[in-house]
Amino acid sequence: MSWAFASIVDAGLVLGVATMVCGLAGIGDDNTDAVAFACVGAVCAVLAAVARRRVAPPDRPGTGRVFAGIGLLWTVLVLFGTVLYAATGSLARLDDALVESAAGFTTTSLTLLDAAEASRSVLLFRAATSWVGGLMAVWIGVVTFPMVLRSTALIGYTTGRRGLDLVPSATTGRRRVLVLYSGFTAACVVAYLLTGLGVTEALVVGLGTASTGGFTGRADSLAGYGVATQAVAGAGMFLAGAGIFVIWWIARGRLRPLWRSQELRAFVVLLAVATAAMALHRGVGWGEAGFMAVSAMSTTGFAVVDWTAWGTATTVIMLVAVGIGSMMGSAGGGMRVMRAQLLMGSAGGELRRQIDPYAVVLVRRDQETLSQRTLDRLGGHQVAYVVLVGLGAMLLGVSGVSLLGSVWGSVSAVTTFGPAVGEIGAFGLLEGVDRAERLALVPLMMGGRMSVPPVLAGVGLVLNTYRTMQRRIRFSVLLASRRRDTPGQSGSDDG
Amino acid sequence: MASDTVVGAAPAGPGPLRKRFDSTTLHILGIALAAVSLGMLGCTLLEAVTSGQDTMALGVSALLAGTVGGLLWYATVPGAIRMRQVFATVSWTWILTTVVGALPFVLAGTFAAPGVGLVEQIVNSVFESASGFSASGSTVLSDFESPGRGLMMYRQLTHWYGGMGVVVLAVAVLPFLGVGGLELITAELPGTSSDRLAPRVSETARRLWLVYIGFTACAAMAFYAADGFSSLYDAVAHAFTFAATGGFSVHADSIGHYDSVAVETVAIVFMILGGTSFSLHWRLVATRTLGYHRNSEFRTYLAMLAACSAVIVVIIWLENGLPLGSSIRAAVFTVVSLGTSTGLSNATGQGSPGDYVAWVAGAQLVLLFLMVVGGCTGSTSGGIKVMRMRVLGLMMLRSIQHTQTPRAIIPIRLGTDSVRETVVSRAAGFFLLHFVLMMAGLLALTSLGGELETSLGAVVSTLGNMGPALGEAGPTSNYAVAFTQPARLVLALLMVIGRLEIFPILLTGAGLVAGAYRGSVRQGRHSMRWTAHRLEAIAESRSDDEADDEADDAGV
Repeated sequence: MSWAFASIVDAGLVLGVATMVCGLAGIGDDNTDAVAFACVGAVCAVLAAVARRRVAPPDRPGTGRVFAGIGLLWTVLVLFGTVLYAATGSLARLDDALVESAAGFTTTSLTLLDAAEASRSVLLFRAATSWVGGLMAVWIGVVTFPMVLRSTALIGYTTGRRGLDLVPSATTGRRRVLVLYSGFTAACVVAYLLTGLGVTEALVVGLGTASTGGFTGRADSLAGYGVATQAVAGAGMFLAGAGIFVIWWIARGRLRPLWRSQELRAFVVLLAVATAAMALHRGVGWGEAGFMAVSAMSTTGFAVVDWTAWGTATTVIMLVAVGIGSMMGSAGGGMRVMRAQLLMGSAGGELRRQIDPYAVVLVRRDQETLSQRTLDRLGGHQVAYVVLVGLGAMLLGVSGVSLLGSVWGSVSAVTTFGPAVGEIGAFGLLEGVDRAERLALVPLMMGGRMSVPPVLAGVGLVLNTYRTMQRRIRFSVLLASRRRDTPGQSGSDDG
Repeated sequence: MASDTVVGAAPAGPGPLRKRFDSTTLHILGIALAAVSLGMLGCTLLEAVTSGQDTMALGVSALLAGTVGGLLWYATVPGAIRMRQVFATVSWTWILTTVVGALPFVLAGTFAAPGVGLVEQIVNSVFESASGFSASGSTVLSDFESPGRGLMMYRQLTHWYGGMGVVVLAVAVLPFLGVGGLELITAELPGTSSDRLAPRVSETARRLWLVYIGFTACAAMAFYAADGFSSLYDAVAHAFTFAATGGFSVHADSIGHYDSVAVETVAIVFMILGGTSFSLHWRLVATRTLGYHRNSEFRTYLAMLAACSAVIVVIIWLENGLPLGSSIRAAVFTVVSLGTSTGLSNATGQGSPGDYVAWVAGAQLVLLFLMVVGGCTGSTSGGIKVMRMRVLGLMMLRSIQHTQTPRAIIPIRLGTDSVRETVVSRAAGFFLLHFVLMMAGLLALTSLGGELETSLGAVVSTLGNMGPALGEAGPTSNYAVAFTQPARLVLALLMVIGRLEIFPILLTGAGLVAGAYRGSVRQGRHSMRWTAHRLEAIAESRSDDEADDEADDAGV
């Protein structure tokens, strides 16, 4: 049984149940939508459950297959959402449905839906897509890379030793992550209910917070909500951006790992610096600055104010915060705090080697020394990330977006943040963006969500296929020329 | 910090030399200033025989620079040099040469205008000097008619000095410097490593300068011919720019002033050659054979320029609605100009085909990419360099291969040679630091009131020593319009950092900070020791007093 199929079955089960729940919750609002979502969800869940009983994932799938499987998984999820949006008439055009679905599953806070007009089922389904997308991202980052692949290099730059604590085995890890993620989501929803939100709104915003998806039930994100709701969102985004390990330690009441986590300390310091830098800018309050800093670093995309009008320096701070992104093991995107730390350590080592070329520079992470091989892979990964952002900006620029809009839009889509300076704006509304530009965002969101390695694997597959074909063609040409040169032998060969 | 390696030691000099002050940094600075003063002197003569208005300013500057440089040269002797000193030497030489190089502009009042105070004039002069010596070509000059020909030629000459490097020049004239000389050249010359063109380091430096002078002469003759033999002054001035891949012109509208296909063609050819490794030019001179096509970096460089030109031609032809002929002319010139980090422009005015600020975002992003990459290693151009980009690209491809075969050992190859892993990690470190500096610069400029698009273009442009930027600092405008005084100083610093390829200035800065930290720690310890000593003394005197009191009491 292929690993990709097993993953799609797992995702289909969760997605089917979630869709069915969304449909059932919508009964009484728009019954057509509700029935459609409930039926499709039920069929999907039943099919997935049946398939799950009959199939078992392979113990040791190859790295290339796993990455290809990840790519296939996201593609299937996005197509499922596209079909459902289009079939229910929530979005009339197929390309619009594709953009909305891709934004949902990649937890990017970009939308084409008119929240005021959309039915309850549709709003909940949109939030559920980001929730499922977030869950998949955490599963892949925390369970798949270190446990299924069993690659020390991958463990090195994903979770490290602490991964073994939460994820002793793939099955246990997947179950624990599901429980923690669901529990955290439930806690968010309850907290929102306590601040006075209605059930639907609390669910939508709660799912958006836990998954770092950033969807709300209004067009102006969280700007129209009360201070208590915004405070809950801020705390929720912090935990969601801090990742599943931090939630695990908090749930277990273990404070020592929290304190000792180098990445968490850096995350908090970066948040504090970004908040202070923005708050010191004229006309920006500390609360708004803190909220937007945590929204950017967790790559959630919630907004309480039109931050794009804050001034150029503030938007650069936001760009840096979004670029660095959240912690490892979270549903958020971006370069990740840990990788940024390691890369800076590596660059510092290079500075030192300028003075002493034979110096042995060790880059450590949580009392663990990383090998040069891991750092090189990290460097290659980062170059690929920059290339993806650059190509994305070029794509947007050619499709008609302004220069700033292209750069910001590409960074925002690849990091799965969503809102951007320029045409997209602070609330991630795509209504004012042309169709070609919207479509250009889809591969960027997908590439960013998959954290690049599956994209690299895809490129690798294409390159390998190309090389193999080239070799075969050369061989055929060589064979043909030899046969031409020695016509007497062809008869004996045939014989 | 790790132990600081001694990379070279000058042999003990004759008797009188031993009495001199032992400092390689000051010695090289002295030679650099003396060389710059010679250039100033030449320009003084030119000014005297032409308009004569700035003769005094140039003459006084030449005298000051020459006196200071000569004194430093005479009073010091190069000694043993450590790696940290190499970077400090190069950094301080560049910073001080830039400051001294600003003197003629200040004394001539080049930037004097109603409402412009002395401080702003000094800031503008330092900016112009930094732009000149770093071969950037960014300018704050708006009035190109007022300065005399001598001063304008001096402005071009700063490019020429900075292109090959004042430290390389110093090494060329130093009879002995051993391995330290090579390290000095490596720290100053752009690229991943410096090729040794001769067994002796000073001979290598001398050959580089010989090629450079020959290149400049050829460029001047070609330009003179292309311009219809109309102005030798223009030809020499632009030849300095081509050789250094600088960007300054004696006309406000740069090469657009001539509006001539012949002039632009000559400019394109010499800009491409200026962005090519000078080692290749030397081989051409020495062996009389064309070795360019065998160099994989050069092939990539040409392919990149061709591909970017083609992409931009298509974009601006379709999106901006320019005629195909104008699109090709504008795109090829601009791509070569920015891809070689020269920064000349063929725009004849705002909104003309060559005014790339008016092009659609896609085309401008391609230009931004070229600004980041720059030319070949061992050339006078700026940017990250084609070689490093190739190494980074191959590093990325290796990551792709590792996703398929995680345990495979895959060497990175350039042509037929495997690249050492230290070079790979150095390229990655350089790229990251370049990126971090770009973000820091962007933050600084926007904090100082810069507009976002203009600031982004300016940071990329100055760090890559390009010249014109995007937005308000485009080819038909200047930096004085777009940036405040403090922002201009930040940009001047970025130009010097970019010219020296980041490491020297960062290490010198880190050394200064570390030194200040160590000094403050030492001072703190001293204060604490002094306080403890004082407290002990007070305690002792008190205990003595108490003992005396007790004794007195006992006596009572």
